[in-house]
Amino acid sequence: MLEATNLTKHYNGVTALDSLTLTVEPGEVFCLLGANGAGKTTTINLFLNFIAPTSGTAAINGIDVVQQPLETKKYVAYIPETVMLYRNLTGLENLEYFAALAGRPDYTRDQLLGFFQEVGLAGDAADRRVGTYSKGMRQKVGIAIAIAKGARSLLLDEPTSGLDPKASNEFSDLLKRMSDSGVAVLMATHDLFRAKESGTRVGIMKHGTLVAVHGTDEFGHADLERLYLQYMHD
Amino acid sequence: MFLRILRHEWSTLRADATLWVVAGVFAVAIGYGVWNGVRWVEFQTRALAGAAAEEQERYDGLRQRVDDIVKTGGQVSPFADPRSPSNVGGRLGPRYAMLPPGPLAPLAIGQSDLLPYYFRISTDSRENILAATEIENPQRLLVGRFDLAFVVIFLYPLLILAVTYNMLSAEKEQGTLALVLSQPVALRTIVTGKITLRAMVLVGTVLVCSGVALALGGVDLASPGIGLRLLLWAGAVAVYGAFWFSLAALVASFGRGSATSATILASAWLVLVVMLPSLFNLAVTTIYPVPSRVEMVQAMREASDDASAEGSKLLASYYEDHPELATGDAEQAMTDFNMIRVAVNDDVERRVRPVVARYEQQIVAQQAAIDGLRFLSPAVLMQEALNDLAGTGTARHRHFVAQVDRFHAEWRGYFTPLIFQRAQVTSFDDVPRFAFEEEATGAIARRVGVSLAGLALPAALMGLFGVSRLRRYPVVG
Amino acid sequence: MVLRIARKELVEMMRDGRFRVLSAIVLAVSLVSLLAGWKHYTDLSRQHETAAASTREQWVNQPEKNPHSAAHYGVYAFKPKSQLAIVDTGIDPYMGVAVWLEAHRQNEFKYRPAQDRTAVQRFGEMTAGEVLQVLLPLFVVLMTFSAFSGEREQGTLRQLLSLGVRRRDLMMGKALGIAAALGLVLVPSVIMGVVAMALTLEGGLLAGDPMRAVLLVAVYAAYFAVMIALALGVSAWAASSRLALVILLSFWFTNSLIASRAVSDLASALHPTPSAIEFQQAMQADLDDRAPVQRRLDERRAALLREYNVDTIDALPIAFSGISLQEGEEYANLVFDRHYGRLFDLYDRQNRVHQLAGVVAPMLAVRSLSMGLAGTDFLQHRDFIRAAEDYRRDIQRILNGDIVRNQKPGQVYLAGRALWEEVPPFDYEAPATSWVLAAYTTSLLVLGLWMAAAVAWMLRAGATARVD
Repeated sequence: MLEATNLTKHYNGVTALDSLTLTVEPGEVFCLLGANGAGKTTTINLFLNFIAPTSGTAAINGIDVVQQPLETKKYVAYIPETVMLYRNLTGLENLEYFAALAGRPDYTRDQLLGFFQEVGLAGDAADRRVGTYSKGMRQKVGIAIAIAKGARSLLLDEPTSGLDPKASNEFSDLLKRMSDSGVAVLMATHDLFRAKESGTRVGIMKHGTLVAVHGTDEFGHADLERLYLQYMHD
Repeated sequence: MFLRILRHEWSTLRADATLWVVAGVFAVAIGYGVWNGVRWVEFQTRALAGAAAEEQERYDGLRQRVDDIVKTGGQVSPFADPRSPSNVGGRLGPRYAMLPPGPLAPLAIGQSDLLPYYFRISTDSRENILAATEIENPQRLLVGRFDLAFVVIFLYPLLILAVTYNMLSAEKEQGTLALVLSQPVALRTIVTGKITLRAMVLVGTVLVCSGVALALGGVDLASPGIGLRLLLWAGAVAVYGAFWFSLAALVASFGRGSATSATILASAWLVLVVMLPSLFNLAVTTIYPVPSRVEMVQAMREASDDASAEGSKLLASYYEDHPELATGDAEQAMTDFNMIRVAVNDDVERRVRPVVARYEQQIVAQQAAIDGLRFLSPAVLMQEALNDLAGTGTARHRHFVAQVDRFHAEWRGYFTPLIFQRAQVTSFDDVPRFAFEEEATGAIARRVGVSLAGLALPAALMGLFGVSRLRRYPVVG
Repeated sequence: MVLRIARKELVEMMRDGRFRVLSAIVLAVSLVSLLAGWKHYTDLSRQHETAAASTREQWVNQPEKNPHSAAHYGVYAFKPKSQLAIVDTGIDPYMGVAVWLEAHRQNEFKYRPAQDRTAVQRFGEMTAGEVLQVLLPLFVVLMTFSAFSGEREQGTLRQLLSLGVRRRDLMMGKALGIAAALGLVLVPSVIMGVVAMALTLEGGLLAGDPMRAVLLVAVYAAYFAVMIALALGVSAWAASSRLALVILLSFWFTNSLIASRAVSDLASALHPTPSAIEFQQAMQADLDDRAPVQRRLDERRAALLREYNVDTIDALPIAFSGISLQEGEEYANLVFDRHYGRLFDLYDRQNRVHQLAGVVAPMLAVRSLSMGLAGTDFLQHRDFIRAAEDYRRDIQRILNGDIVRNQKPGQVYLAGRALWEEVPPFDYEAPATSWVLAAYTTSLLVLGLWMAAAVAWMLRAGATARVD
């Protein structure tokens, strides 16, 4: 479960995020929409404690991320726009290392291969150096890490931008499976279509403020785009 | 977890050519450095053996001649008489006072190529005896040696910086850092892991390579205090390394890019290792200038001219000071050339002493200034520590010269009474011999300890400050 | 076109904070080193002049004594300081300052100034020469490493080349711009150096050997040209600025810190120096072998007895003891020439290895030339040793000649001030500039070679460099 309470961030007097209050429940996929600089990435960075909030709190599983940064990271997985891995190591070695960092150093090779299969990566990819991986493959490794870690919350920062439609689709399927198993997902995205497809709720941000929150079942694709543009206009 | 990070760092570093190039260059440089040190020690040992052999041969010759004279009862010129204490104490029977290379001498050539390591002790004046030097191409002295100390002081920090300057910035630039830090692991754990592994590789390379090279070059493991010396040497290498690793950690915590970090670290190296020591030297030689020894040469000359001019008068006053040496026929003694010479030498030395003291004073002042300034440059601290441990520094040489002074006094104390009693040297075995007494290991350990503390303290401060700054490390942006 | 590019480089550099900080440091360090060099020089040369005057005083003020006693008393020779030692003290600190010129023996120079310093001396002197040889190349590297690769990384290179700028002009322009920036930093130091020299010389600037100073400036200019061309070439050739920086820093370190030490050890492995004990023993063995002197004396005695038609040497109108002394000197001189000659040739051979190794590290060639032109190299010390020894031999000849003429058998002969003054004061003239240049043709050639190769490499790297 991800919770933000009056979360605010100023950079040198500029408000990047203004009193964000938000809860993402287990099994929910919350999509943050908004223009570049609207505060989406700031929100994610605040949840990861990569930056310190000016005021307000961010909590994962009810634990404040500023007070217990390491504890909260046990329950959350992060997938950036491109999952950057150690080029000189194989996919499996990367997965093993990150799983170990996440506190699961005891996976066998078979178990790790199992995670690769689960996210739809071919067996031979596991032993190749990630320098040769396509972006889609890297994103899948990101999900594999999240699964291996047993994360209960997922933070995604435009994970599908630049992916071809097929890869994007596969990624959404994986996301859906995770959320079905009770993972709370917060995803920043520009992809309205994906947001409608895989999201349960969408929030629209503007100048650091969450201006609207809607359930995705409230309207169709076209309606979402209209709504979004309407907020962007003024 | 920590082991995990070490293992991971090892596998990423292993795949990167940099580490191998660095370690390879390092190993070769260490090998060459120790080889040079070993060759220099062999050279010194040979020279000392040559001196000892020469002395032995000369004394054998003297004994032979005395035997011949006694047997044949033949006449000899008083200037060549091997029984005359004045001749034996002066030209014929000088003995060598030798400073043997210390047990770890191959590790740092230090000042041992510049400062003489043996003196020919006779009744001649102290200044003449101490002016002797080993011959060497002056350009070689200027350039310095490629010894292990050079590799450790100059190259070792550069290699440390080469493998650490981008340890965080590279991960940030390639984007893996965010993913790593989204795991429940503290940045300082990661940094400590990275540094530990690199330190293990580099410090290990120095210790193992120099250990192997030393073993091949032959180091006497039976010599007293060798265990402590080796331990301190390893400690010095480790602490000096720690200083540079801490500096790298501190700079990494600023969160600047790889290029900026590299520039900052390279500048720090240049200033601390190259510029500050030379500037210190410039400062102390300008503030406490040691006048050219030509002044001393002239002063000694004037003193000896004056002393010679009043030779007989001096002898009289010498008898006043040393009534125990006066024989009955002091009248006749006045004319005795040898006695006059003893008195003249004594007087010259007394007159020259204040002049010599001026030089000593300035050198001591320079050293005192450097002893304070050294805490500003890890390279100077390290140089002093390594020279002390290798026994090739100024301190051990002073210790040697002090013993030489005492021996010189003993030498004169042996011959002067014989000269004044107009006695003969009866047994060459009684002629004093010099035996170098090694510095107490405890004293060395104390001096080295201060240097190491001077390195460890800033290392610890930088390390702690760097690690505490890591809490605010800008992971993004 | 080249000038335009050069101007833009210069303007850009001068607006760069890095350049301003670096040049302030370089300027400060070079001024400090010049000042210190000037102070040391004036102190030392005053001390040496005083000592030289007083050794002469002592000589002519000797009381009446036998000329051979005076020969044993002897004089001291002190090497006068070369004026350009302000810039480069060379081996001065490691060479004894005084030699005692006495009868029978060629002594070694004693009292190396470095022995009166702390161990920190071994880190270097921070003379102007060291600043020029070590720090300025680093300055060049830092100013130049991104000169080409930076434009490639910013994308301005595409722009430039699309305008039809010739790559050759681009490289030359950049080189010129960097050289101009370097010039700006160095000019104040050069002016100060010239002023310092003018102040220290009694007869004004031209009283010294201005040619040496001019050549010294030229050598350093050539060295910086090599460094600029190399750095620019690497900047164009390397895939990134970072790689260029790593390569250039490695080169700088090898060139200015590693090479000289490694080569020095190599040279001594190739041409090992004997220990003082070995050297003295070998020389003493030759000196102790009196047979050749005895033979020679027998011949002379026979010839003289025949010439003056007398039976005993006491009957000769001249003193044979003087001839005997002089013959002893002549023989010993041969021994000294052989042994010292061999030792000094050995040093020369070792130093020649340094010159040749300039092919690998240009700093070695530059250092040799710099010390040579400053008059602080071993060759010129050797020349002084030769002059001092010649003077010693002159003294012996004059004194022994006097004995030959004036000593009477069975009498105590004492000479006085007139004879002491017959010995001229020691006057040493340093070798001419042309002599120095001839001695360092190897280094000159090596430096020339580096210059040609570096410029060719720079142009080639510029011509073949990737655009992005």
